[in-house]
Amino acid sequence: MPQQGVDLPQGTLDLLILRTLALGSNHGWAISERIHQVSSKVLQVQQGSLYPALHRLERRGWIKARWGASENNRRAKFYELTKSGRKQLEAEQGEWKKLAAAVAQVLETA
Amino acid sequence: MFRDFLIRLRALFRRNVVEGELDDELRFHFEHQVEKFVHSGLPLQEARRRARLQFGGLDQLKEECREARGTHFLETLAQDIRYSLRVLRKSPGFTAVAVLTLALGIGANTAIFNVAHATLLQPLPIKQASRVVVIWANNLTHGWSRIGPTGQDYLDWKEQSKSFDDLFLFEHGTGTVTGSGEPEQVAGLRVTTNFGDFFGIKPVLGRTFRMEDAAGRHNFALLGNAYWRRHFNSDSSVVGRGMTLNGEQYTIIGVLPAEFAALFPSDLVVSFDNDWLKRANGDLGVLGRIKRGATLQQAAGEMSVIAERIANSRPARKGFGVVLVSLESVRLEYLRPALLVLLGAVGFVLLISCANVANLMLARSLVRRREMAIRMALGAGRLRLIRQFLIESTLLSILGGAAGSLLALWSTELLKVFVPSRIPVPNAADYVTLPGIHMTGAAFAFTIGISLFTGLIFGLIPGFQNLRCNVNGLLKEGGRGLRTGPGGHRTRSSLVVVESALAFVLVIGAGLMINSFWRLLQTSPGFRPDHLLTLRIKLPADAKDSKYREPRQQAVTFQRFLAGVEAVPGIQSAAFADIVPLSQDDMDRGYFVIEENPPLPPGEHLSADYRDITPNYFATMKIPLAAGRTFTQQDDLDHPRVVIIDESFARHFFPDQDPIGKHVNVPDAARPAREIVGVVGSVRDAGFDQQPQPTIYFPSLQSPDQTMTLVVRTAMPPSTILPAIKNAIWSVDRNQPVFAVRSMEEIISGIVSAQRLAFLLLGVFAFLALALAAIGIYGVTSYLVSERTHEIGVRSALGAQSSDVSRLVLGHGVKLAGIGMLGGAIAALALTRLLSSLLFSVSSTDPLTFISVAILLTLVSLAACYIPARRAMRIDPVIALRCD
Repeated sequence: MPQQGVDLPQGTLDLLILRTLALGSNHGWAISERIHQVSSKVLQVQQGSLYPALHRLERRGWIKARWGASENNRRAKFYELTKSGRKQLEAEQGEWKKLAAAVAQVLETA
Repeated sequence: MFRDFLIRLRALFRRNVVEGELDDELRFHFEHQVEKFVHSGLPLQEARRRARLQFGGLDQLKEECREARGTHFLETLAQDIRYSLRVLRKSPGFTAVAVLTLALGIGANTAIFNVAHATLLQPLPIKQASRVVVIWANNLTHGWSRIGPTGQDYLDWKEQSKSFDDLFLFEHGTGTVTGSGEPEQVAGLRVTTNFGDFFGIKPVLGRTFRMEDAAGRHNFALLGNAYWRRHFNSDSSVVGRGMTLNGEQYTIIGVLPAEFAALFPSDLVVSFDNDWLKRANGDLGVLGRIKRGATLQQAAGEMSVIAERIANSRPARKGFGVVLVSLESVRLEYLRPALLVLLGAVGFVLLISCANVANLMLARSLVRRREMAIRMALGAGRLRLIRQFLIESTLLSILGGAAGSLLALWSTELLKVFVPSRIPVPNAADYVTLPGIHMTGAAFAFTIGISLFTGLIFGLIPGFQNLRCNVNGLLKEGGRGLRTGPGGHRTRSSLVVVESALAFVLVIGAGLMINSFWRLLQTSPGFRPDHLLTLRIKLPADAKDSKYREPRQQAVTFQRFLAGVEAVPGIQSAAFADIVPLSQDDMDRGYFVIEENPPLPPGEHLSADYRDITPNYFATMKIPLAAGRTFTQQDDLDHPRVVIIDESFARHFFPDQDPIGKHVNVPDAARPAREIVGVVGSVRDAGFDQQPQPTIYFPSLQSPDQTMTLVVRTAMPPSTILPAIKNAIWSVDRNQPVFAVRSMEEIISGIVSAQRLAFLLLGVFAFLALALAAIGIYGVTSYLVSERTHEIGVRSALGAQSSDVSRLVLGHGVKLAGIGMLGGAIAALALTRLLSSLLFSVSSTDPLTFISVAILLTLVSLAACYIPARRAMRIDPVIALRCD
């Protein structure tokens, strides 16, 4: 299976993490797996970018963390979306859609 | 926002827990990754290996997470600080020298800051002090530039002027307090009743004066705070009690706050009533608060117009003008030049300290270049390295600042002995009190500020130096790159040159002051100042039933005092005079006319100093008699009027005639012509650096005074003879106090206080600067020797004598000092002009001083190079060539 994925710019990773957490709280591993699966295995998030991003988002107050038990009863750090995080997600989703549409337009007409 | 703060806090203070959590989190992820690989068919070992590969650099990941946590800056800062402390501890010699040098520089600055703060920066205890002015009268034809107005003048000014919110009149005086124990002469102040409002004073007890108090003779008194503590033991029930002042009954109505003493250190404050005000014509002072929006010039202009109007309506005031000076500048006039010089000097000392420590750090940093190179190779940013140096230097300067504060504390105590508590006001026979000097919170803040500032300066110099080094070259073996480096030597040498220049300027300044002060003290004041004791006596003549109301009675009483004092064993001679030379106690000048000379054109006047004395005065003061005779007991009110003049008078007004037998006329009710019967030597009355003024002496019996100063010549110490003198006075009048007991030496010391302070402090700073510069030269030369050990070894092997080697070393040191001296000489020629107001009969570019200081500095630099030169001479060429 392809280990290399597409390189994600930092802002986009934040957006993906927030979206994933919108569906329910999860730990870091699960988040990266989920993104990998849902993107049809195109996007592979490296730990090197995932965890700094998670800590950054936590500091910003968009997600909050608590320690809990994982599926196989191991101690794991779970993240969940906060209210302000939800608002941020909506805003960034809107931005992304506008950006994608604009880029598509340019690529089409050029 | 808040969460962010909490997270950062937690990351800082519970670092271990947070790090542990990060470890757990990452391990969890790792385990899952391994499981995933195992599920996809890989054996466990292989799965683990793949997972680890995929994880990448764990430490880097952790580092990035840490950075994302946002506490990175503070964490690395803490790390750097711990590292710096370790480094400083490992080289105790360097740390000690650096801290000591900084302590000297910072401590000296803090001490002077204290003095400047107390004298220049302390706000006066008056509300809106910046708008308050002192209003003097003047009479330039008389030669009076600042004298007190009359009470009537004050009333006219108050009525006619529009520029002031309020005008306040006061009179310094002394009073006799009797009734409890020894009669005491207290310092008093008589004020107009707007006293409380003008200053915005809140009394500690009771009340201040009210307008109604001026309507009649109420005899209310306010106690000064110190007097209340001393005399009444801070008793809170004093309000309403009575006391006897000048033979009259007074009621205490309140106690003043302690800050007020900064302006008027009076024991008692009493008020003028309206009648007294109209007749007042003594040592009056007027303060006014200029209205908001008006300037000093506008007020001064208006007052001149009013003065002219007054002169027209009251001819007695013809020729009198008005002078306005802002209160704040009056306080500063005397001290400001000296203080500014000192502030400059102490700034130089600090710069020299910084230069020395920068040199020390540069020397050390050259050795640490390898360490820097390794760190840079490992990825440390240049900024981080500079920060390292800054942290080290800041730590050093904080330590130096702490030590300096202790030094400043100790030296402030010492300074209190030399800084006068009151300073004379130039051109007005008056004094201004100085607030006490002590370490204040502001001084500590200043110390901290200066420490950080100096840390910044000498931290950046080596920091930037080292960044220019070649990383590769340094990491290579051989280490030659360690010793020789770009710019290190040049920077250090230039620092030493700058130090020498600064030291040169300071030592020149000190040299000039020493010269000037010495010459000042060498000047003869016109009398013999040794073994003289003075004290003042004021006969209380205010009360209506006082036995001293009659001038004749006053004169007789002083004669009786004198007779009693002369009988005391140990007294060589004694006399009374109304004003003693150099004391600034009072001023007495007046017009005179020489009978035998043709009359002067109208409007022109001659004036001279007046002095009333008893016959033995000249003998006691050892003022030589040049012609004629001194006064005798026969020269009293029942005999012809006589005067004695001094040599200045004779030279001025009788240049080719014999003054004996001529007559002078003084404006006086009786207007008899007074015959000149003697000529005596001139006396410098106003100061050592002032010219003697023409003086006319009157016999006390013919010109009685209420207040006179007793002068005694005695070989016995004042503390021994004083009780006997007091007893002699009290045997005539049991209730007569004496005050202002001073030996002539104390009086002289008071008058030269500013010069002496400047001279002492400048001397100390110059010495410090010299010592620091010497250390700097020593450091650089010593480093030069160790740097060029190889070269010296080669030279010796090739035949150089030890004298050649020592010449090399000494020459280098002297060359540095010489360049510094050249620069310093140029700077000194420009800067010493600022000292000229403090210098007496010494030019600010005195060549003798410049040359001697140049020689001194050369000798000092030679001495500083001596040890390194000896080391250089002892270099064994074999060892030098081998080691590298």
